Amino acid sequence: MSEYAIEVKDLCIHYKGLKSYSIKQNLLRGKKNKAEVFEAVKNVSFNVKKGEILGLIGKNGSGKSTMLRAIAGIFTPNSGSIDLHGNSVSLLAIGVGFQTELTGRENIMLSGMLLGFTEEQIKAKSQEIIEFSELGKFIDQPVRTYSSGMHSKLAFSITAILNTDIMLIDEVLSVGDARFKKKSYKKMKELITDENRTVVIVSHETKTIRELCHKVLWINDGEMMRYGDTEEVLTAYEEFMK
Amino acid sequence: MLKKFIHDIKRYFRYSWVSARSQLKSEVANSYLNWIWWVLDPLCFMLIYTFIFGFVFQSSEQYFPIYIFIGLSMWDFLNRTLTESVKIVKRNKSIVSKVYFPKYILILTRVWANGFKMLICFAIVIVMMIIFQVPISWNVLFFIPILLTLGLFTFGCACFLLHYGVYVEDLANVVNLTMRFVFYLTGVFYNIEKRIPVVGNALNSYNPVAFLLSSMRESLIYGKTPNCWLLLLWFAVSLLLCVLGIRKIYKEENSYVKSI
Repeated sequence: MSEYAIEVKDLCIHYKGLKSYSIKQNLLRGKKNKAEVFEAVKNVSFNVKKGEILGLIGKNGSGKSTMLRAIAGIFTPNSGSIDLHGNSVSLLAIGVGFQTELTGRENIMLSGMLLGFTEEQIKAKSQEIIEFSELGKFIDQPVRTYSSGMHSKLAFSITAILNTDIMLIDEVLSVGDARFKKKSYKKMKELITDENRTVVIVSHETKTIRELCHKVLWINDGEMMRYGDTEEVLTAYEEFMK
Repeated sequence: MLKKFIHDIKRYFRYSWVSARSQLKSEVANSYLNWIWWVLDPLCFMLIYTFIFGFVFQSSEQYFPIYIFIGLSMWDFLNRTLTESVKIVKRNKSIVSKVYFPKYILILTRVWANGFKMLICFAIVIVMMIIFQVPISWNVLFFIPILLTLGLFTFGCACFLLHYGVYVEDLANVVNLTMRFVFYLTGVFYNIEKRIPVVGNALNSYNPVAFLLSSMRESLIYGKTPNCWLLLLWFAVSLLLCVLGIRKIYKEENSYVKSI
């Protein structure tokens, strides 16, 4: 077992001009569709030790979420490498993926299976998820009938209870109303500080980052600005953002 | 690629299965007649077509209602799966952008769901065969390879539609039109060999859907052996389509999230 849980080396991610087009446009303009290349992440390298908590900061559009998605395997890097050493990984972001026509209960099963859990494991935990989400009888209603609060509560509960070795958290540390916020933040803190869990947090709240993270990586327009101890990087970041 | 494919299928097979089951359940959860629609829908279409083509246009096929019903069931499976697969990545955006899985699993899910509906229809075909007292021969066993070929063919085509559907906005219109045209070239409710004199024979061999439909009819209700070589050929072509389609998706699926 390697010391590191996440190893990222020279990571580059491009968005090519993959705009969708219509057939008519294509015929009129001829074959040539100019592809603009937008570099979202440029040459970023860092390692996260097992059990470590890494904060990821930077202004909007600087490539934080893109990087999280790459680590989660949603798309592969254009160059460079990401090695997770076989750890299971989940991405918690606003509005976790549901099939809205299906009920909450069915979505728990399907989300769990996509995260790599077996049906037995999910069944064993689904009661806990339903209780934590406080959805009550709505759990057997289609997700499309949920309010946005219920939606995020369910999403949060699934990721919190069906936890993976590596958790990638995109801005969501707590959801719901004041009371649920407190409860979910507590749960999240418990999960994050677990010694065996490796966590990457994206947040704009320097207060939370300061409280939770061991190390911080600051990226700006896809480039690494600073990487190191929390206090040091945050001070520089706050100075920069003024 | 094969290794990756086997690994992925092992990991996501149950997912596609459970997902299909849930989708089927949700489809009928809110309607009055529930799952009866799966039976009622093709049954009514069969009655309409039987009336129009059997009565108004005086079609003379033996066991005409079964003839139509077999055609409709298989056609619906193909048509539904293909038209759905064009928009399937966009429709599942919320999942696609949150977790990685091979995108052809989405098609697999629809193949199970639509295949299930088709099997219900074939259960009705069996009932109708009993009512019409159709003589049965060993040739009915061709049922299995024919359906398998249809399934592979559909899956292979759907892979390509899924891929291009992500980038080409109006592909859905083109697919709808094409499918309508193929529908008439397939002889779902008439015998193309008799009705289209010159090219009918050729269509029956070179339009895979027409070939599969007529083979199914021959084996089930007319007790004939279908053209095995042609069946084998189309099986091989379908398999090739699947391999190419899956390869295409593996190669390109990374950029799907970036473009939806």
